[in-house]
Amino acid sequence: MWEKRPILLLILATAAIMVGTTVTMIVPFMSVNTDADKIASVMPYTPLQQQGRDLYIREGCNNCHTQTVRPLVSEVLRYGEYSKSGEFVYDRPFLWGSKRTGPDLARLGGKYPDAWHYKHMDSPRSMIPRSNMPDYAWYRENPLDPKMIQRKMEVLDFPYTAGQISALADKNEMDAIVAYLQKLGSDIPWRKAAETTIVGEISNPFAGATHAKMEAWEIIYENNCAACHGKHREGDIGPELVGSNYEDEELFRIIFNGIPDGGMPAFNSLGSDKVWQVVTFLKYYDEEEGHKQ
Amino acid sequence: MDLAATLYLGVTFGLFVIFVGIVMRTYSRKNRDKNETAKYRMLDDD
Amino acid sequence: MEKPQYNTEIVKSFVHWSVLWGLVAVLVGVIVSIQMTNPEMNFPPYLTFGRLRPIHTNAGIYGWGVGVIFATFFYIVQRLCKVRLWSDKLARFQLWFFNATISAAALTLLLGFTTSKEYHEMEWPIDLMIVILWVSFAINIIMTIIKRKEEQMYISLWYMMAAIVGVAILFLVNSAAVPVSLFKSYSAFAGTNDANVQWWFGHNAVAMVLTAPPLAMFYYFLPKSTGVPIYSHKISIISFWSLIFMYLWTGAHHLLWTPVPDWIQTLAMAFSVMLIAPSWGSVINGYLSMKGEWHQMRENYLVKFLILGITFYGLQTLQGPMQAIRSFSAFIHFTDWVPAHIHMGTMGWVSMVCFASIYFLVPRIYGKELYSIPLANLHFWLTLSGQLIWSISLWVAGVLQAGMWNAMNSDGSLTYTFMETMVEMYPYWWARTTGGAVFTLGVLVFIYNLFKTVRSGEKTAPLTASSEGRA
Repeated sequence: MWEKRPILLLILATAAIMVGTTVTMIVPFMSVNTDADKIASVMPYTPLQQQGRDLYIREGCNNCHTQTVRPLVSEVLRYGEYSKSGEFVYDRPFLWGSKRTGPDLARLGGKYPDAWHYKHMDSPRSMIPRSNMPDYAWYRENPLDPKMIQRKMEVLDFPYTAGQISALADKNEMDAIVAYLQKLGSDIPWRKAAETTIVGEISNPFAGATHAKMEAWEIIYENNCAACHGKHREGDIGPELVGSNYEDEELFRIIFNGIPDGGMPAFNSLGSDKVWQVVTFLKYYDEEEGHKQ
Repeated sequence: MDLAATLYLGVTFGLFVIFVGIVMRTYSRKNRDKNETAKYRMLDDD
Repeated sequence: MEKPQYNTEIVKSFVHWSVLWGLVAVLVGVIVSIQMTNPEMNFPPYLTFGRLRPIHTNAGIYGWGVGVIFATFFYIVQRLCKVRLWSDKLARFQLWFFNATISAAALTLLLGFTTSKEYHEMEWPIDLMIVILWVSFAINIIMTIIKRKEEQMYISLWYMMAAIVGVAILFLVNSAAVPVSLFKSYSAFAGTNDANVQWWFGHNAVAMVLTAPPLAMFYYFLPKSTGVPIYSHKISIISFWSLIFMYLWTGAHHLLWTPVPDWIQTLAMAFSVMLIAPSWGSVINGYLSMKGEWHQMRENYLVKFLILGITFYGLQTLQGPMQAIRSFSAFIHFTDWVPAHIHMGTMGWVSMVCFASIYFLVPRIYGKELYSIPLANLHFWLTLSGQLIWSISLWVAGVLQAGMWNAMNSDGSLTYTFMETMVEMYPYWWARTTGGAVFTLGVLVFIYNLFKTVRSGEKTAPLTASSEGRA
């Protein structure tokens, strides 16, 4: 039979291939991206954001960065709320990626202020010394093509205004990529929901620590804070920290939960011990410098 | 058992029957030797 | 029966070009691996990791892998059918169109024209070229099989035909897109649907390009190299139907724990485990074919490549299902473990079989003895050690990184920041570059040996016994 008839074998092979294809590839179209998946607050990309997304694709950022947070403890702690199907309905193509050479970006939007992204895209190693991400400072020299972007919006059937298109004329590729990164995962109000409520009285367990402790705690500062507040707390993207005069408890709250609207990320994933150590470190030098004056 | 579950079971059983059918046909007394001729013929000099 | 005049010129040409693209793939591979340890080795806009990595994967899969598939299938199909290729002209067209397509793919990827879909990065005009290429290949192979002079079809032909229809279906569906301009298009599917279609494609490209065709080569070149038939044609038949049936269910094991519906993930997980059976059907068939012939592992360099190749296929098809289990995937996915897995398949299984196939057919189509068997043995050891250094270093790296990602303090906070885990990878990435360089050295030895064979190898009598590969 099919041992001798190639056409029959081709037909049977196609049939065998189509069974699994039908069940796992075709049938899901009936339930995925339907009304059941929809999230009302998820909006299509603006012209600038969509162009940023296309640049992300052009540069192959997805070769090193994923965009999907799995519902696993360590992952939700590190990146934020796990990803929902309805958050991706405007993504053509999807950009979930398959390898995290760099961190996941699904919840990046709103984590840092724009200035952080500009500086980081210019030169990642100026902020994160041992990063292996290439520099993208050259983005600043490339203007955008409003006509082309308008055509993209038409093809995607996304809403836009004439004002949004004309505003593109004096933007460059760097503006676009930053606008895109700031949109990622921010359409659902997860940051507010993930905020930790600090209950009861809190007090610094490391209060009164001596100089000998400070070196180890300075490393925590350098790894997590120095990129924005400067190596010597002189301030850069974030404010100067010398002479800030916060109480221990106040400082702890700011670092632990961040300032969601002020561009200060939450550092609760460090755990309360490390946050207290940073608080103690900051206070120690604040007071020391106060003595010098 | 609802309709969907019956359908799943039916399809699974049907696929299994097809598999058993292929094995039985391949190893049947009638085909057993015929199905091995190709491996000797392919060794002919070319 | 009168001996047919086979078309060997087209086989020669495809061997030349596929080897050239193979060299490009490994060289770019070494470059991108250095870029991971030394970011200053990125030269924007064109020569950055993000743009070069797809060139490495596509040159490897389509230039080298598919190039060798074209070469060997044209060689095999004529001999198994005992007729000349259906159309020489179509095959010649296919050769030039193949090179035009791969060149256009490399150029456009450098320019940043990409869909971002893994192993399908090329934009729509290149997709159209690939369709033309595949159709002309399919017509030539199928027509040759139809007009064959041999009644029964040997198992290699079955795998060829399944690959031909499989690739066609996968490629057409995953290509669906709406063009905006000549080099920009948007996927016809959105979000979760797009992800599901992409990995249905992605995983089955592994089935239809990197499994079925190398199995066709293995089933042909192993008996031809040892001089004894395969253990059981019947086992190969059962494995064939099970393999092509089960593979298509498994794509979503690339998407475990993502928003893709749970039932698709569960099916993918179950079928991935079941897939061990047909995969090992081929492995065991290969091993049993060596009964009484194991001494050839010492004497015959072709057998070394082929048996090590099928061994890595066996390991690959055990490791793969393990990774497809939810709990293990939760731990290991997104780390460097995964590229190590892929490279055991590509460097260990696919390339080993491709090397053996080319070593087998080059002396025959040129009528020359292989220039140097010691060099072929050297190539074998460089391939094996290069791949093992590559894979083992990144398996260790993957486990280390996964452990650090998941490490938690007693108060429920994370022990390490992302950067603290990433900087631990540098030594392992250096080891990987070393492994890649060793493998590349092997490829250079391979090319030198082939070049000398064609140029100055001793002429053999046109009709030689099938035991020619023996030392």
